[in-house]
Amino acid sequence: MVLTLPKVCSQAEVAAVWRKVVPRVDRLKTGDTLTLDADAVESLDGAGEALFLSLYLKAQRNGFAIDVRDARGAVARTLARYSPESFVNHPDPAALVRDSHLAEQVGESAVALLERVKGLLAFLGEVAASTVRAVFSPGRLRWRDVWLFVEKAGADAVPITMLIGFLLGVILAFMSAMSLQQFGVEIYVADLISIALFRELGPIITSIVLAGRTGSAFAAELGTMKVNEEIDALTTFDLSPVAFLTLPRMFASTMVMPALTIFAVAAGLLGGAIILLSMDIPAVAYWQHVVAATSLTNVLFGLGKSMVFGLLVGMVGCFCGLNAGRAADSVGAAATSAVVSSLVLITAVDGLFAVMAFFMGV
Amino acid sequence: METETRNVQRPDAVLTVRGVTAGYTKPLLRDVSFDVVRGEVFVILGGSGCGKSTILKHIIGLTPPLAGEIRILGDRISGGDAAETSRAKRHFGVTYQGGALFGSMTLRENVCLPLEAFTALPEDARNLLAEIKLEQVGLRAYADFFPAEISGGMRKRAAIARALALEPELLFLDEPSAGLDPVTSAELDRLILRLRDEQDVTVVMVTHELASIYAVADNCIMVDREAAGVIARGRPADLRDNPPNGKVRAFFNRTAENGYE
Repeated sequence: MVLTLPKVCSQAEVAAVWRKVVPRVDRLKTGDTLTLDADAVESLDGAGEALFLSLYLKAQRNGFAIDVRDARGAVARTLARYSPESFVNHPDPAALVRDSHLAEQVGESAVALLERVKGLLAFLGEVAASTVRAVFSPGRLRWRDVWLFVEKAGADAVPITMLIGFLLGVILAFMSAMSLQQFGVEIYVADLISIALFRELGPIITSIVLAGRTGSAFAAELGTMKVNEEIDALTTFDLSPVAFLTLPRMFASTMVMPALTIFAVAAGLLGGAIILLSMDIPAVAYWQHVVAATSLTNVLFGLGKSMVFGLLVGMVGCFCGLNAGRAADSVGAAATSAVVSSLVLITAVDGLFAVMAFFMGV
Repeated sequence: METETRNVQRPDAVLTVRGVTAGYTKPLLRDVSFDVVRGEVFVILGGSGCGKSTILKHIIGLTPPLAGEIRILGDRISGGDAAETSRAKRHFGVTYQGGALFGSMTLRENVCLPLEAFTALPEDARNLLAEIKLEQVGLRAYADFFPAEISGGMRKRAAIARALALEPELLFLDEPSAGLDPVTSAELDRLILRLRDEQDVTVVMVTHELASIYAVADNCIMVDREAAGVIARGRPADLRDNPPNGKVRAFFNRTAENGYE
């Protein structure tokens, strides 16, 4: 087989030769000869060098011979610069430790998990300690930051929270009214909505919005600060990142949740009212049922729960941000893990609240 | 000296900068003109914040200059149509201060990325070519490492390998020795000279590292914020021996400015 190379072996020319010829070279066996005619080659770039190298590597592997015509020395120069032998045996394979054994991987993951749990406990401890310090000397907390985050996490979130609350009320009322109408008791939709929203759905839906909007933002913010070594700067100033960055965010997310929940519930009740009005149920009757079904215990239970959810979202967001890696994609990973962990925790803690309420008879 | 060189274009110039006003919104430097000749290492030098990186940003087409014209092998980098800009961009490679390697890719994948986008080479060819490029900067053993797993100097060399992937005639380096120890920095200087001598690459470098300037620069211009323009040009050794003004003397003698020498 003869391979004649053009005068200029640049990337475009080599690409054409490579696609056409190299598959055929792959079929050569021991005893075959490849005639490599490089007499015409005047200029050669990296792609041309890669072609020569590849031919010699294949010759070594498959055992065919190369008869080279190299009047201008292009092939010789390439082989002198990069020896094919060293390209076959990838140098320094010991340096690549990424392909580790299964047992090693399990062990490494276990250690990583343990480290993470240790980190979480340390974080919780520091949060608790700095909260106690902040309670006894409130002047040391950065209140300016707290109000800023109250605005960002609370005031700015009112429209979206109300919209979702409203739609939830509409859907809930519509679905339940469909069934209750068969028995002529659609007025009890008001009781259902009121209890469901105050006790369960209001806090849950609001905390989901908070996790998506604010938890992820906290994680991304702190993650970026970590990448920019701002967290290191704080640490070297002997300022605890937890007290300085986490506490204001956590306080804010805990404080805004009851208010946001009230907005969501109010919007949901409005949504339910609109559905029932369209079913010819008078607004007064709806309102009387809502008031009768709403107990102070329910309201306080729901609002208390919402504060716990807010605390969780703030803490998880900050924890994920502070534990982000230092690469660009780690900020995204931190934000994702903040939202996912928040949602899982909210659901789990809500379950705990349900069990608690059952045993307390609330 | 300024007016003599300004409008005479050298026939072997690969980069010509003519009457450029550098700046983003407010002009930082006015009437910057110079030619870079094929096969030389050209350094744009000056103190911190003098606008030398801004000039580089104009040259590589990240932001257009406020006035003036920049041509790379005859093609305008900004101000022309899209085809001309894209032709101009194919003539050069850039390495940024921090390397700017993609963190989620191995060094091999980083080098393969432009090859995949702009050449018709099949995958095995791209991989081998990437190894050759990494070999040129002494990093072939690290082809399968991620940028986070290697040192800062290695990241800069890997960035040079990536910039060289498409065989550019011009290589722009932004503060290549920033943050490197003297030994690593000297290794980088040797690499730059090898690229010039063995691969015929023309190198344009922005730096204020004197050691590096003496080691590699064939030619340089010095820009200054207060004078708002080019205050000296020529070979670094000549500028050191016969400084045209106090600022140049202060820079090359590493003394504090304003006549404290």
